[in-house]
Amino acid sequence: MTVPTMLVLLIAQGAAPGAPDDQWLMPAKDYAATRFSGLAQISAANAPRLRAAWSFSTGVLAGHEGQPLVVNKTMYVVTPYPNVLYAFDLTQDGYPLKWKYRPNVDAAAMGIACCDVVNRGAFFADGKIVYNLLDGHTVAIDAATGKEVWSTQVAEVRQGESTPMAPLVVRDRVIVGTAGGEFGVRGWVKGLDLATGRIVWTAYNAGPDAELLARPGTFRPFYDKGTDLGQTTWPPEGWKHGGAPVWGWLSYDPGLDLFYYGTGNPAPYNADQRPGDNKWATSVLARRPGDGTLVWAYQFTPADNWDYDAVQEMILADLTVKGRSRRVLVHFDKNGFAYTIDRATGEVLVAEPYVAVNWAKRVDLTTGRPDVDRTKLTGASHGSVKDICPTLEGGKNQQPAAYSPRTGLFYVPTNNMCMDYQTTPVTYLAGTPFIGLNAPYKPGPGGNLGALIAWDAGAGKKIWEIKEKYPVWSGALATAGGVVFYGTLDGWFKAVDATSGRALWKFKVGSGVVGNPITFTGPDGKQYVAVYAGIGGDWALLAGDVRSDDPADVRPPASFMPDIARHTSLGGIVWLFAL
Amino acid sequence: MAVRAIAAAPLLALLVTSAQQSVPPSVRYEQHVFAGGNPPPAGSLENPFRGDQRSAADGEKLFSVFNCDGCHSLGAVGGQGPSLADGRWRYGGADGAIFHSIYFGRPRGMPAFGGVLPPEAIWKLVTYLQQLAPAADLSTESW
Repeated sequence: MTVPTMLVLLIAQGAAPGAPDDQWLMPAKDYAATRFSGLAQISAANAPRLRAAWSFSTGVLAGHEGQPLVVNKTMYVVTPYPNVLYAFDLTQDGYPLKWKYRPNVDAAAMGIACCDVVNRGAFFADGKIVYNLLDGHTVAIDAATGKEVWSTQVAEVRQGESTPMAPLVVRDRVIVGTAGGEFGVRGWVKGLDLATGRIVWTAYNAGPDAELLARPGTFRPFYDKGTDLGQTTWPPEGWKHGGAPVWGWLSYDPGLDLFYYGTGNPAPYNADQRPGDNKWATSVLARRPGDGTLVWAYQFTPADNWDYDAVQEMILADLTVKGRSRRVLVHFDKNGFAYTIDRATGEVLVAEPYVAVNWAKRVDLTTGRPDVDRTKLTGASHGSVKDICPTLEGGKNQQPAAYSPRTGLFYVPTNNMCMDYQTTPVTYLAGTPFIGLNAPYKPGPGGNLGALIAWDAGAGKKIWEIKEKYPVWSGALATAGGVVFYGTLDGWFKAVDATSGRALWKFKVGSGVVGNPITFTGPDGKQYVAVYAGIGGDWALLAGDVRSDDPADVRPPASFMPDIARHTSLGGIVWLFAL
Repeated sequence: MAVRAIAAAPLLALLVTSAQQSVPPSVRYEQHVFAGGNPPPAGSLENPFRGDQRSAADGEKLFSVFNCDGCHSLGAVGGQGPSLADGRWRYGGADGAIFHSIYFGRPRGMPAFGGVLPPEAIWKLVTYLQQLAPAADLSTESW
C-alpha cells in the first residue's frame, strides 16, 4: 500500500462521511447502512406533538422510493423518471429552490423498468450530488450551483439495463449497478472515477472468474470451492442472460475496505431453463472499492425458483452472537430468512425466518445451504405450484431496515403474503421481458399484508411486531430519541417507541409511502424528519386504479388488496415534520 | 443453447410466411401518427386477417413467444404495460394504429418489433388483440 493511499484511508476512517448527525449525506445515513441518527430532540415523550412543517409537490406521479439528502443547509430531492434534482434552500422562509437540474432522460427506459420508474436516491461526495438517471447514466452535479460536472453512460437501455439504484461513493470511486433481472441482462457493478466519471473497472456477477474480478488468491468464499463457479453453475451460455442485477443498497466497511451488495434473481423465472446453482445471482458479494476485486461471496438462494432477489441492504454492526463479539452484516432476504453473517469471511452465523416461510425448512449453517421443501420447487414442468411463502415481493423488498445501537434492535418493514407460482418457457430477445410467470398473491397467516418488526440479529428472534393492513413498503428510521419512523401504503407516516413498538403519532401524507424517512437539524436548530409520499414501485402494478392521469390505463384492483385505492392515489410530495 | 431450443419450434411454425408480401407500410414521415396527434385521412392500413380465428390463435402464441406478455400480462390484461384487452387505447385502436405501435414502438417504453417480426406476424398479433372483446358495459366507476 502506498503512503498516499494509506493517508486517504486514514482520513476516510477518521471522518467518515455520514457521521455528522445534523446532516444526511448518503442514502442510509452512514456507510454501515444503519439509518440511525444520534439526534434526540424528538423523543418518545414529545413525538405526539409532531406537526407538519412544510411540503412540496415534486410534480411527478411515479413511485417515490429513496430519500432526500441534507447538506450545508440545503435539501436535495431526486424524483422518479424524469429524475429531476431539486435543491431547496433551508435558510429561507418556505425553503425556495436554489436551483433545479432537469436532465434529458431517454423515455425508452420507462419500458424496461420492471416495476415502475423509481429512483432510490443520491450520494453527496466532494461537493457533488451523484445519482443515476433511469436510462443508464450516472451524473455528478455541483451541489452549490446545480451545474452538471460529468455524465457517464454506464448501462445500455436497449439491452434491458436500467439504473434505479443509489450509488455508493468510497474515496474517489463511485460504485453503481444495473437493474434488469426481468430482461435477461448480465448483472454488473462498475467503479467510476469521482472526479471525471470515467469507468475504472467493471465487475460482472456471473461468468468466468476473470470477468467477476475474482482474482487468483483474493477470492475466498466461505462455503463454495472451485474456479469459475459463476459460469459452471449455469447451462452453457445461460450466464450471459442470467440476470443477477444490482438494484438495491450498498454498504461499506472502512476497516476491512470491503463494500457489500446483493444481487437479484437469475433469469428467466422458469428454473427449467437454467439448471444449476446460478452463482452469483441471489447472493451477497464483498469487493474492494478501489479496483473491484471480489473477496468473498455467499449465495442465499441457490438455484432460485421463486424470484428471491437478494438486493436488500447489508447492515453492518458489531453484535454478540452465541456469546462472542462479532463483526457482522445483517440482511433480511426476500426469501424470508434474516441472516447474520461474519462480514470479513462470509460465514453465516444466524439464519432464522423473520416472516412466514415454507419453501425451506431451515438454513444449514455448516453448508450455508437452505433445506428446500421439494414440493415448493417451480419451473414450467411443475405447473402451478400452490401456496409458497413468502411471495416474490419477498418477506422484505427494497424497503430498507434501520438499526439502533442504543436498543440493539433492527427495525424491519415487512410483507406478509404467499403466492402460487407458474412459469412458462421464454425466449431471450434483447430489450424485451425475459420472465414467463403467473404468480397470484394472497394474504399470509393472520390476514394482515404487512408489519413493522423489531429483530434481535444476535439471537435471530423477533422482539415485537406492529401489524399493518398493507405491505410496509417504506424504509425505517431509528433515532437516539428512542423513536422509529416509517410509512404505510395507505398514506400514514408514523412514529413508534423504539423499545416497545407503542404508537406515538401518525399523520396522513396524501399518498402511500414507499420512500425512506431521514432526519436532520435545520438552520433554526430544530430537528426535522423528512419523508416522501407517493405510492408506486411494485404497487404501481398491484394497487389497482390509483392513477388518474392516463385514461387508457384503468386497472381493476388486485384480488388480494381490493381496497387500497380507497386510501391513496399517485402523487409525489416531500414532507417535513418538526415539534 | 437451451433457451433457443425451446423457442425455435413455435417460432418456425408461426413465421413461415412470405415476408416480402405485405412489406412494412411505406408510410411517409409526415404521415406518421404521433402521440396526441391525429392520423392523416389517407393511407390507413387494413388488417388482412381481421376476424380470422386461426390468425388470432397464432397471434396469441406470438404474444407469449415474443415476450409481449412479460409487460402486458397473460391475456393482455395489463401489468407493467397497459391493458390491451379493455378497449381503451393510448395510441388508437384502429388496425393501422395497433400495427404501428408494434412495428415502430411507442415512446413510453414499447419496443419496436418491426426489425424482429415480419409484418404478417404483426398482423396476427393485431388480430389476436382485436378479438379480445372488452366488456359490453365498461364500468366508469371504480376506486
